[in-house]
Amino acid sequence: MDVKKYNLKKVSTYLIAGVLVCGVIINLIAWPQICACQIGSTAFVILELILFAALCVYCMRMISRDRRGEGTLLGNAIQTIARYEFLIEQLVSRDFKIKYKRSVLGVFWSFLNPLLMMSIQYVVFSNLLDVRGGNVPHYAIYLLCGIVMFNGFTDCCNQSMRAIIGNASLITKVYVPKMIYPVTKVLSASINIVLSMLPLLLVTFIYGLFNGLYLNWSILLIPLALVLLIMFAVGMGLLLSSLMVFFHDVEFLWGVLSTAWMYATPIIYSLELLKGKADWLVTLMQFNPMYHYVTFMRTIIINGCSPAISEYAICLLFSVGMLLIGGYVFHKTEDKFVLYI
Amino acid sequence: MSDANKNVILKVDDVSMRFRMANDRVTSIKEMATLLLRNKVEFKEFWALKNVSFDVKKGEVVGIIGRNGAGKSTTLKIISGILKPTTGSVYRGGRIVPMLELGSGFDHDLTGHENIFLNGAVLGYPKEYLKAKYDEILAFSELGDFINIPIRNYSSGMLMRLAFSIATVVNPEILIVDEILSVGDENFQRKSYARMMELMHGGTTVLFVSHDLNQIRNMCNRVVWLEDHTVKMIGDVKEVCDAYKL
Repeated sequence: MDVKKYNLKKVSTYLIAGVLVCGVIINLIAWPQICACQIGSTAFVILELILFAALCVYCMRMISRDRRGEGTLLGNAIQTIARYEFLIEQLVSRDFKIKYKRSVLGVFWSFLNPLLMMSIQYVVFSNLLDVRGGNVPHYAIYLLCGIVMFNGFTDCCNQSMRAIIGNASLITKVYVPKMIYPVTKVLSASINIVLSMLPLLLVTFIYGLFNGLYLNWSILLIPLALVLLIMFAVGMGLLLSSLMVFFHDVEFLWGVLSTAWMYATPIIYSLELLKGKADWLVTLMQFNPMYHYVTFMRTIIINGCSPAISEYAICLLFSVGMLLIGGYVFHKTEDKFVLYI
Repeated sequence: MSDANKNVILKVDDVSMRFRMANDRVTSIKEMATLLLRNKVEFKEFWALKNVSFDVKKGEVVGIIGRNGAGKSTTLKIISGILKPTTGSVYRGGRIVPMLELGSGFDHDLTGHENIFLNGAVLGYPKEYLKAKYDEILAFSELGDFINIPIRNYSSGMLMRLAFSIATVVNPEILIVDEILSVGDENFQRKSYARMMELMHGGTTVLFVSHDLNQIRNMCNRVVWLEDHTVKMIGDVKEVCDAYKL
């Protein structure tokens, strides 16, 4: 029984091809935004090409180092995934199966849940308490985008938070890279986010027929928005799950914090409402990652165009930043987990 | 690696393990904060292992004996990579499979079938291998059609049979056994004992912790005797067991 390995050359080819295809799609959809960005379209394309070339060079270096039996960060990560691929698959499918195992409607809840949530909040916030303020166009869809993104995110966090202490019996007996536990929890929860895109698009389509909101090529950017959100959630999950081992308070604290975060993010209200009344809040909002992810999704679906180029950069920055912070804290503390759980 | 070391599949090299125990285990931020403020976080140092070295050759069955608290379980945990030693290192030349305490890797909402794959994956076996071995595991566990119902409906005997079957039907390279399991009815006990013997004589390297000296005498080639967190004696079964008994 040999340890399973991927052919790095093949992986690199797929990676580069994938990045190329995504890049072309994004460029086509976001061309008006690229032209409008500060550095100008030519400089932007050159920047893109430089980044792309850097990726190719890194892949080549990874392959050549691998031949000599040396590791690189990405190469090691890929081989770890290869080695534990089956375990990852098993853990993700377990979480997903168990979630709906004893319910009658099963996976259908993934579609139904956001719809019901939206209906309730739509009735409450558009009829009972009108907090729309700036008269948001297409409020139902505006609301649904926000709910789907934010609930998806908190679901990921809630699931992954208990990943380490919940698997205590395994962690104290078998050696498996501990990162696998929270990451698979986030992945299984994010299957739900992906599934909930279906009702979102469906409702938008039906609603749009009557209200003149048409889906556009820009929905091709939805996967990108989800990947960015999931990366952020993975970072958050790593952070929460490792803190949870040492301080069980985190669970209660996070309950409060996530509620506060939900109200701090314009999900039921719009940012227009705050303008003029609390301008400092509008400025502060720029530092709320969830605001950017939610807005990213709304621009794609409601405005039917790509977000401004700066939004891509901000979202990517938050995602990678959170991933690094979470990964760092997790890595620093993982050797001590066994002593505390 | 020199010629004499070629067959060494596991090498524990001068391993020491220090635990730092806070006065109480602090599990809340408030407690930690008040303790920090009052400057009362004291750590008691405790060496669970001191300079332990031994190696295991391929195909050997090595018993580990010692009184309670001598460091047997800590040694096993360090060998399987769960704990990182404070100093020293462990060389592992193969896949290490611990015989899990019964059912600790099970999920009670999944069926027996799904649990075989989940547990097998946790133990590090590839998919194709488990698929190939699935019928054998099922046959050994004597579960029959029950394999397709959620294991929360299993009796404790059925659970144990399933766990034992997963751990032993697949052929681990290094098997770690913390106390031999006697599970199921008399018939299954006999069968599982026979299976253990078969494993131990069939080329699998086994690390075996037990308090039962008769088992050790019957099964092992060599014995490591731990006392007071360090190795007191390593050697031939009879020699060490006789010395231990005194």
